[in-house]
Amino acid sequence: MSHANVAVGAHSQELSEGSPFSIPTKKLVMWLFLISDAATFAACLMAYGFLRNATPDWPKPFQFLPTVVNAMVMTFILITSSLTMLIAIRAAKAGNKSKAFNWMLITAAGGIVFAILHIREWLGMIGEGATLFHNPWGTAIFGASFFSITGLHLLHVTGGVIALIVVGLRYRGGRYNADDIEILGLYWHFVDLVWMFVVPFVYLLNVAPTH
Amino acid sequence: MHDMSAHAAQHHAPTSFIRKYIFSLDHKVIGKQYYGLALIAVYIGMAISWLMRFHLAWTNARIPGLQWLSSVGAPGGLMTPEYYLELMTMHGTIMVFFVLTTAPFAGFGNFFLPIQVGAEDMPFPRFNMMSFWITFVAFCVLMSAFFVGDGPPLSGWTAYAPLSAVGAIAGPGQGTGQVLWAISIALFCVGQLLGSLNFITTTLDLRTKGMTLMRMPLTVWAWFITSCMGLTAFAVLLPACILLILDHVAGTSFFIASGLVINDKMLPHSGGSTLLWQHLFWFFGHPEVYIAIVPGVGIVSHVLITNMRRPLLSHKVMIGCMGALAFLSYMVYGHHMFVSGMNPFSGLVFSFPTLVITIPATIIVLIWIFSLYGSKLRINSASLFALGFISMFVSGGVSGFFLAQPSLDIYLHATYFVVGHFHMVMAVAALFGIFTGTYFWFPKMTGHMMNESLGKLHFWLTFVGTYAIFMPFHYLGMAGNVRRYQAFVDDYMQPLLGVHKFITIAALLTGAAQLIFLYNLIHSRFRGAPAPPNPWEATSLEWTMPSPPPFDNFGGKHPVVYHDPYQYGIEGSSNDYVMQDSPEQIHTVRDEK
Amino acid sequence: MNSTQDRGSLARDLIVYVAILVIAALQFVIAYQHIDGAQMFARMLALAMLEAGLGVLFFMHLWMETRGFLIFVAVFTLFVLAAMNYLWPDSFRILVGAPFSSYH
Repeated sequence: MSHANVAVGAHSQELSEGSPFSIPTKKLVMWLFLISDAATFAACLMAYGFLRNATPDWPKPFQFLPTVVNAMVMTFILITSSLTMLIAIRAAKAGNKSKAFNWMLITAAGGIVFAILHIREWLGMIGEGATLFHNPWGTAIFGASFFSITGLHLLHVTGGVIALIVVGLRYRGGRYNADDIEILGLYWHFVDLVWMFVVPFVYLLNVAPTH
Repeated sequence: MHDMSAHAAQHHAPTSFIRKYIFSLDHKVIGKQYYGLALIAVYIGMAISWLMRFHLAWTNARIPGLQWLSSVGAPGGLMTPEYYLELMTMHGTIMVFFVLTTAPFAGFGNFFLPIQVGAEDMPFPRFNMMSFWITFVAFCVLMSAFFVGDGPPLSGWTAYAPLSAVGAIAGPGQGTGQVLWAISIALFCVGQLLGSLNFITTTLDLRTKGMTLMRMPLTVWAWFITSCMGLTAFAVLLPACILLILDHVAGTSFFIASGLVINDKMLPHSGGSTLLWQHLFWFFGHPEVYIAIVPGVGIVSHVLITNMRRPLLSHKVMIGCMGALAFLSYMVYGHHMFVSGMNPFSGLVFSFPTLVITIPATIIVLIWIFSLYGSKLRINSASLFALGFISMFVSGGVSGFFLAQPSLDIYLHATYFVVGHFHMVMAVAALFGIFTGTYFWFPKMTGHMMNESLGKLHFWLTFVGTYAIFMPFHYLGMAGNVRRYQAFVDDYMQPLLGVHKFITIAALLTGAAQLIFLYNLIHSRFRGAPAPPNPWEATSLEWTMPSPPPFDNFGGKHPVVYHDPYQYGIEGSSNDYVMQDSPEQIHTVRDEK
Repeated sequence: MNSTQDRGSLARDLIVYVAILVIAALQFVIAYQHIDGAQMFARMLALAMLEAGLGVLFFMHLWMETRGFLIFVAVFTLFVLAAMNYLWPDSFRILVGAPFSSYH
């Protein structure tokens, strides 16, 4: 498949003007999607910031244990899964299929652990009485924005895990090539990137003050 | 690899009816589907505007048959005030989303963008097909609001919170109807995002040999710029709609402030902000205005150039101005919110770029006018509508100068002045762009010529009718006639009723003139004279192929482009023009380079 | 065209990875500093942008693409994100001006 692609690529190079950015179309479309997804996440975070800033008695309920430690572990896992994804891409580019596939599975496993920790945390909060429309600590908007922003992110992680497994299997089966792994990697790193904003703004700014 | 190949997707001509006409991957069929959807939507929207206008002028008259559409909203054919607002909401939503966005951008864009850059198809035809069908489902969901629950929402196409967020307590349609509205618009956002991805990648990656960026026709530039706006604007409306749905179904209160009392009942919601909805909505809403108008600018330029047989004064400045419109459209949205209670300082900050955005718009108009000056314009339906577009764009744009200034806007906002302004500059101008494109490209899309006499008749009736409808709106607004009232019979606005009656008669007649267009469209589709490949003696690539184009556009060949898009008025050539793919050597009079 | 492109060594990936981890850890430290909310927000935002910048440039390999593409993505994204910031004055206005908009 990849040979055929190279041939077609060379062929079309003569017949077309080519990309001004000299990157493949599929990669470009992923970047464009990520730009638009960045706008979506930014809109959610801005909405949260708008409401949080306008609320004088915004609650700060997060204790060091369990929430902050949990967030630390989740952050570590997600950033590490980006590294394993990079290793997978590197292996795929070098043509080492089984190594690439295994590292993709490790990445997916990281995503699954992240999701489990996240859902456990959610369940803990729900157990304390936090829902979309009520929570024991203060304004109802706290629960609404916490669950919708982390929920949107969790949705992206879940989608990413499914994509990692599906694309990984099809890559091993020969339907996808190393470029496709790299493109999926872009998405996975982006999900990681979003988390880098969710952690400080949604978790760390709401940490219970110590004295 | 399937739908994700790195080139224009190669697929064989489908043979089954379903694959060929319904779930088609062919960009041309998808373009026609979008156009067809817009056509259905625009006539529904127009019929609704008839009902509204009739009710405004003759408030106590029964409209026979209306009770069948809604027995609650119009008992015995007499429209209730709530039903008026419901119709108004549906009119705005249908027109803005399903007509002004789908026809000039998704409709013509899908059909002609790949052809004009010399591609066989878009790179992701499956995305393209999904884009249409998601939009179609969005339309069905919106229409279902007429028949489900207690009718469509009454919060207008902008769905301002808290009215849109508090649910059924706020009035008929604010429960189920509003949720359906939000679902429909969220789906629409997804559809247009998928479309935008395809448009951008086609423009950047699939240009044929010789089709450098500066050799792309202005239509391609317009669609490209529009899709860049669509990519980020719809991405913000999507979460806004989802948060609105959560406010309805999950008990959150993102857009509902604390202590809201409705019908003597204090709502349990707290902590949200109604201004937040306006910020999120208009961050989408203002680029949306340009999503509707920029393709029209491209189409009108394209058609004018072809008919005046010479290029515009400057190709590059035109592109730059369209880009500047897109750029500035993100920085001006607050001018919709001058009287919303937003920070007055923000009003000032928004007012400045709003006035600046008139500079590229003015340059665009000046380029058209100075290019037209002294040219021997070929008068046909398409070029007439292009001239009409310029007229509407200017007339509507001038009132924008007033509205851009907060001190004047405080008086004029929420009056008919604003209604007149945006109907002329956005709605009717964009519609004239659609008509221009239709009369110009119909032969290519269907293989049949349209009837020119009917087209010209349609133009004159529409042109005069539009001014007769929307110019008085400005006077009504200055006289203090507020918008979104369902009747003016028993208050200080009663003296203005005569003007409203005049407008209603003009609207009914102008609407009737659109039936001429519909007749022309359908009759020509089946009985029109067969269209030659290049009836307008135009230069861009869509005119190099038979009408209608074959399944794979260029018959398996890859065209090679040698010239800038608009080589007209060429001396020494056998014709006065040179097609883009003609290898002929030419010395151009006005070569920009 | 892309497969042959230089995308740096694994060592560089590791350095970037460690750098991002360190910055992430710094955010957790800042969360327990005794500073006012605005200060804390500013520091967190600066660190998050630094983190994301490293991620985009080296994890997503934007640094290794053509300069034109880097500029396209950066300008497009940052402009749109910057344009969203118009809403802040209203947020403050609600805080200090309008009654009934906050939970009591």
